[in-house]
Amino acid sequence: METDRQRPAERRLVKPVMLFMFSAFVLLGLKDFDWFTFALAVLVPFGIYAATLLLPRLFPADTLLLALVNFLCALGILTLYRTDPARGISQIYNYAIGVGVMVMGILYIRFWQRLKATVPMIAVAAVVFMALPVFFGEERNGAKAWIALFGVSFQPSEIVKLAHLVVLAFLLSRRRVLTSVVFAGISLALLMLQKDLGTALLYYAITLIMVFSATGSLTVLSLGTAGAAAGAVLGYSIFSHVRRRVSIWIDPWIDPRGSGYQIVQSLIAMANGGLWGTGLGLGNAKVIPEYATDFIFSVIINEFGVLFGACVVAVYALIFMRGISIAMRSRSKFHTLLALGCSSFIALQAFVIIGGNIKLIPLTGVTLPFVSYGGTSLISSLGILGLLQGVASVNQEDIKEDQMIALIGEEG
Amino acid sequence: MKLIKRNIRIIVLAVLVLLASLVGYGAYSLGSFGNRWFSSSVNTFARQQKNDVIPGRIFDRNGVLLASSDEEGKRYYSNDAAVRSAMVHVVGDSENNVAYGVESFMAQYLYGFSDSFGERLRQAISGVKRRGNDLRISVDASLSRFIARAFPAEKAGAVVVMNYRTGELLNLMSFPLFDPMNIPRNIEADPNKPFWNKATRWLSAPGSAFKVVTLAAALKNIPDAMARTYECTGAYQVGDTVITDAGMASHGTIDLKKAVEVSCNITFAKIALELGDEAMRRASQAFGMDDYFLFTDLVVENSAYPKTNRVSKEVAWTGPGQSALLLTPLHMAMITSAIANDGVMMEPKILLQAISDAGNTIASLSPRAYRYPLQAFEADIIADAMRAVVTRGTATAAAVSGLKVCGKTGSAQVTGQEQTNAWFIGFLDEPDLPFALCVVVEDGGGGGQAAAPLAAKIFNELKKYRY
Repeated sequence: METDRQRPAERRLVKPVMLFMFSAFVLLGLKDFDWFTFALAVLVPFGIYAATLLLPRLFPADTLLLALVNFLCALGILTLYRTDPARGISQIYNYAIGVGVMVMGILYIRFWQRLKATVPMIAVAAVVFMALPVFFGEERNGAKAWIALFGVSFQPSEIVKLAHLVVLAFLLSRRRVLTSVVFAGISLALLMLQKDLGTALLYYAITLIMVFSATGSLTVLSLGTAGAAAGAVLGYSIFSHVRRRVSIWIDPWIDPRGSGYQIVQSLIAMANGGLWGTGLGLGNAKVIPEYATDFIFSVIINEFGVLFGACVVAVYALIFMRGISIAMRSRSKFHTLLALGCSSFIALQAFVIIGGNIKLIPLTGVTLPFVSYGGTSLISSLGILGLLQGVASVNQEDIKEDQMIALIGEEG
Repeated sequence: MKLIKRNIRIIVLAVLVLLASLVGYGAYSLGSFGNRWFSSSVNTFARQQKNDVIPGRIFDRNGVLLASSDEEGKRYYSNDAAVRSAMVHVVGDSENNVAYGVESFMAQYLYGFSDSFGERLRQAISGVKRRGNDLRISVDASLSRFIARAFPAEKAGAVVVMNYRTGELLNLMSFPLFDPMNIPRNIEADPNKPFWNKATRWLSAPGSAFKVVTLAAALKNIPDAMARTYECTGAYQVGDTVITDAGMASHGTIDLKKAVEVSCNITFAKIALELGDEAMRRASQAFGMDDYFLFTDLVVENSAYPKTNRVSKEVAWTGPGQSALLLTPLHMAMITSAIANDGVMMEPKILLQAISDAGNTIASLSPRAYRYPLQAFEADIIADAMRAVVTRGTATAAAVSGLKVCGKTGSAQVTGQEQTNAWFIGFLDEPDLPFALCVVVEDGGGGGQAAAPLAAKIFNELKKYRY
């Protein structure tokens, strides 16, 4: 019943998004008169249509959530294609792989009853995977979070996110709080060793949120917050690159051409954009280092304006709220906790990186979910979405079952 | 499960607050600092735009052309070398040597970034190179040229003239001047840093001119302040230091009005000690010290009252305006304006009008009260004392026949400098000449001798400007 009433909402949402992407790519095509860009002007909107409205016919999924996420993915592809076409194209491939992973996520949760025996294996694999960069990692921007495997370099902490969410939800749904804290502690310690503090912060916050929800204990909440504060102080005193980040955050203008360059250029890019943006293809946000990953939000504000940026934040809030409503509707503790963890992860990750871009908090090198360039990041974000969609489809299944029982009851 | 759902609600609230804080903080910081970021010298985007847009012209308040560009975008300043030198710090220069001049801080208008979509479209269709907005600014070229001639030759310093009712700046000059179209080769080596706009960027202690703030603190904290008398014996021991007066004068038994008139350090040191550091800080902050100045038209260095934990001799020296006080000449002009304007401090303004290529007014002057440091009656008492300073006190040299001039001198000691910095703050108590000014001559000597006569010349010149 519910789904029938809501169907028009995502249909209404998809059409303007398709039109937006169509006109955006046409505009880019006119700029350089490139036929390939014109082809994308047709292909990308069609892709959005297919991924939002046709895909759920094959796999049960929450279409509204899909519509919102596809908007962000398309926005990412557009922004990347505009700044560096090669990256835009490779992001399209990443997206295709990510959709595959999302479908796997949905299936995993749908067949959870049969697959939950895999949890111990997943937990062990997660720890092993997370430990890899500590030994074989390559250092980028102060963090040693990347490894190269079969010629592909990626960030294990991104993939382990999925395992982390599933294992925590599983343990907490069985009231094994201590085990879950130990498991999270190992992941966190390994992340600290990789010096990837932004990701560590996210893992920490998600663990805290899930443990608090499962136990409702204010002790956990206050201990956790105190622990975070202690961790922050510890990180500040141990790592010189943390101290540097904090001092840049406090005043990047001390050295606008040196250490503060990134943040200063990010702020200037947003100021250049103003309320309405400079216009697609007319900005110059490429002067910001890492414009495709860490600072993609500044690039979006530069060309589309502050109002549009506020809308992007609102889209994350909507995704979060939709995820929460899935959590609230679900009937098992495991599914509730999992849906909560997934939606919080997406929302908090968006907060951490956007906050870093606008200098609300110190910058940490995490990606903007669904938008930033990066295979591992996009795939893991879509994987998290898959888990969330899995819970949604289980909810739908439950509702159908109820209706069946009600029907049988009436007949009987 | 019910418990979990209650807990989830708490988390939802927290996460939504975080997301909302992104929008809130983003809007706040872009709203307050956006123009500063935009006009910063590291903004390559604005520099690129300069190739595509012919920047608008800049006129003074009377329509005198101060800056214009040819079709290639080369910038020209006034044909009169005296005018373009006098205007160089407020207007800025095309090479961005002067930070935060109109040329850089108002680039959003000059390069048409604030143009509406329709305006951009019209210009794009017309096929000619885009033009930015013309600006009319509040300074008066002829007044500034006059001040440039009257200012002591070879000296450094600053002169600010402000309309205390509206906050418009009629003059904003920093000395030494330089000619933007003929910059001397060795200018960077000049110890007086000609590129530096001292009126807005130079922080120092204003000496006795600060006594007006100490007086305001006394009025706010001592009920019968003006009826009291103080004993000045010529020397006053505080800790290991002795506070004395200029020329080792001994003023005897005097009241506060007389103490302002003769600029008695000892009396004001006693007041500062009596009130204590906190009351002095509060009164100073009421005048905008320790503020983060975020004016729409100007970038002004923030003034600072010394930090806490000070020993009594430092507090005592704050009364007569020495100690570690840091203020800009522009801020002193704002403080003077507040006294003149019945206790209302206006935000300093430069932009009168921005006019688009199509002739639409995009922005115009909108006076705004910045702070309310004084009650009207308190402002009257201080103004009254400042009037006495000019009629029979230390600033008789600032008097102009036919005008009610009020003022206060200052002679600020600077370590390692031969003479004191000469300060004069003052205003005209005339309804149709609402002007306040601040004059500083670095290493100039006594405020009464070096700064007050210059102020008199400026006031006399201002007689012509009945706006």
